[in-house]
Amino acid sequence: MIAILASMLVATVDPCAPIEPAAVRDPGGAAAYRKVGDEERAAGSPETAAMAYRSALARDPSDAASRRALHELCREAGGAFLRGIARMDAGDLRGAIAAFREARAEAPDPSAALAQGVCHYELSEDGEARAALREAAAAPAHREAAQFYLGLVALRDGDSGEAARLLDSAAANPGFAPAASDLARLARRSGKLVFSLLAESGWDSNAQLAPGGTPISTASDGSLGATATGLFRPRGESGPYLRGTGLYRGQARFGDLDFGGVSGAAGWQVGHADRGLLGEYNYDYRLLGGSSFVSAHRLLVGGWIPAGLLTLAASYFARFESYPAALYAPFSGTLQRTEGTVALRLGRSGRLALGYHLARDGVERSELSWTEHGPGAELRVALTPRLQLGINTTVSLRDYDAVDPNLGLKRSDTYLDAVALMELDIGDRFTMRFSLDGRKAFSNDAPFDYVRIAPTLGLAYIIGM
Amino acid sequence: MHVGGLLLVLAVMSSPGEKSAGVHLAAGALAFREARYAEALVEFRVARGLGASDADPYAAATLVKLGRAEEAVEAFAPTEEGRDALLDYYRSIACYEARLYLCADRLLALVGARSGPRIAEEAAKARAAIASELTKEPPQPTIDWYLTRCGERRDAGRAALAATFCQEAVGLSERRADRYRLSEAATQLSRLTGSGRTGVAR
Repeated sequence: MIAILASMLVATVDPCAPIEPAAVRDPGGAAAYRKVGDEERAAGSPETAAMAYRSALARDPSDAASRRALHELCREAGGAFLRGIARMDAGDLRGAIAAFREARAEAPDPSAALAQGVCHYELSEDGEARAALREAAAAPAHREAAQFYLGLVALRDGDSGEAARLLDSAAANPGFAPAASDLARLARRSGKLVFSLLAESGWDSNAQLAPGGTPISTASDGSLGATATGLFRPRGESGPYLRGTGLYRGQARFGDLDFGGVSGAAGWQVGHADRGLLGEYNYDYRLLGGSSFVSAHRLLVGGWIPAGLLTLAASYFARFESYPAALYAPFSGTLQRTEGTVALRLGRSGRLALGYHLARDGVERSELSWTEHGPGAELRVALTPRLQLGINTTVSLRDYDAVDPNLGLKRSDTYLDAVALMELDIGDRFTMRFSLDGRKAFSNDAPFDYVRIAPTLGLAYIIGM
Repeated sequence: MHVGGLLLVLAVMSSPGEKSAGVHLAAGALAFREARYAEALVEFRVARGLGASDADPYAAATLVKLGRAEEAVEAFAPTEEGRDALLDYYRSIACYEARLYLCADRLLALVGARSGPRIAEEAAKARAAIASELTKEPPQPTIDWYLTRCGERRDAGRAALAATFCQEAVGLSERRADRYRLSEAATQLSRLTGSGRTGVAR
C-alpha cells in the first residue's frame, strides 16, 4: 500500500546527473527543448521537464534559462518531501515522518500531510495520523485518499459509525470504491459494542456429547441452535474488553443431549492485527440434557508479531474444569494447551497458517489423563469481497498416562480433524455460513475408532455500534 | 507506433524545419518502443513545437504510458476518433485510468477487431471489466464525484477535461431511473462545449 501511494505521489528523477554535450552546438534545437521543459514543469512533471532541460543544455551549454531551471529542479528533487517518499519506499517510516514534517514546516503541503498521515497510521500512531490526514483531506486532490485512511484509523479505534461514514465518502471516488466499500461493510459490523446472533441447523453423524473416552454408542441426530454474543471494547481494538455469550442447541432425537450455556470473558489486548499481545479470563458454564455439565475457568495469553512476510504467533491457556455429575466427575481437572503458528499472506485475499500444538489434560484419574501434540494447517481465501472459504486441518497424537483397568490397556489415540467453512455476506449485517466438520479417530482400542461428520448451515446477524 | 512509417514521412519532408520535426518524431517513436517514455514525450513535444502536428496523439499515448491519464485525455481531445485503432486503444486506456468508464467503453467498442488479435483481446477484457462495473445503477455519490471533478477542472481552466467529467456524469445519470442531477450535468456540459457534447466524450 505504501509503495503504491508513493508512486502515486511522485515520479523518480535525477535532474542532477552530469550532462554530456552534443558534438554540434544547436541553439535552435535547445530552445525547442527548453520550451517543452517549461511546459512540463508548469504541468507539474519534473521528470520530463528535467529531461527536456538536459537535452537543451546538451545542445547549448550556454542556455542560462535551462541551466537555472534545471538547478531549481535539482534542488527541489533533494527537497524534504522527496526524501520522505524515498524513506517511505525504503520502509524507514520514522525517517519519512521527519522529512515530511520538514516539508510541511516550509509551507503547507497536503501531499506531505497525506504521506505523513499514512506513515503514522502504519506505526499505529492514530492521533498523529488523524491530525495529518485531516489537513490532507482539505485538498481536493487528496480528499478521498485521506478519508480512506481516516476511515481505517476510526475503524481501528472502534468508532464504527465514523469509520463507515468516512469510508462511504472515500468510496465515492471510483478508484477507492472497491476497498472502501468492503471496509465500510466491515465497519458496520465492528465498533466499541458489537452484537451478533447466529442461528444454525445441522446434522451430526456422532451426536453423543461426552468427554473423550466414555464408551457410549454413537448415533446420528439433527439439531437447531442459536448463539448470541456481545463484545464491548471501550477503547477500540487495542485495550480492555468484555465478552458475553449465550448458546443453546436442541437435538431432534436425543433430548438428553440438548446443550446450552453461558460464557463471560474479560481481557485486554495491546496492539492490533499486525502485532499484539492478549490476556483473557473466561468462564464457561454448560448444561447437558437440562443438568449441570461443566463449569470451567480459563486463563489465556497470546501474542503475534510480523517477521518479514510472515506473522509469528503463540498462545497458551489453562482451563480448570469441574464436572459435577457423577458420570463425568472423573474428568474434572486442568486442561492446558499451547500452540505456535507461522502465517503467510497469499496475495491480497489469502492466508496460510501452519502450526503445532501441545496439550495436557490432567484429570482425577491417571488412566483418563492424557498428553497430546500435533501439527495443524489453516487456509483462508476470500474468493470475492463477500465470499470467504476456509479449511482447517489438525492431526492430534494423544497418549494416556496409565493403563485403564476397565480396558486392560493404556490408550493411545490419533485424531484427524478437518473443518471446511464457507461464509457469504448477503448484506451489510447478514452472513450465511456453511461448515462441514469431520473427524476420524484411530485408537489402539477398537471401540474408540470412529468417524464423525457434521454439516451445519447458519445465518448470522452482526451489528456494531 | 510505426518507426518505418515515420522515417518515410521524414524522407518526404521538404523544409529544414519539417525535417528537424521528423527527426524528433522518429526519436520519440524509438524511445517509445524502447519504453523510455519520458524521453519519448519530450521528443514528441519538441516535434510538435517544430511543426509536426501529427505528434500530438503520439504524445498523448506517451502520457498514458507515463500514468498521466487526465493530461492524456486532454491531449487526445483534438484528435479524431476512429482514425487509428492503436491510438483509440491508448485513448480508451487514458479514459479508463481517469475513471471515465463510459468514455473508455465507447472507445474500446470502436477499437473492436481493427487492432489485431492482441489489442482486441485486451480491449474485450477491459470492456468486460467495465461492463461488470456498469451493471449496477450508479449511486448518487458517484455522480456527485464526477460533477465535483468537472467543476474543479473547469475552475482550473481545463475545459476539455472538465467536459469529459461532466459528460460522464450525464451518461451515468441517464442510467438511473431518477436521472439524478442530469439536467445540472447537461447544463454544465453545454456551457463547457457550447453543444452539450465533446470530441472526447461523444
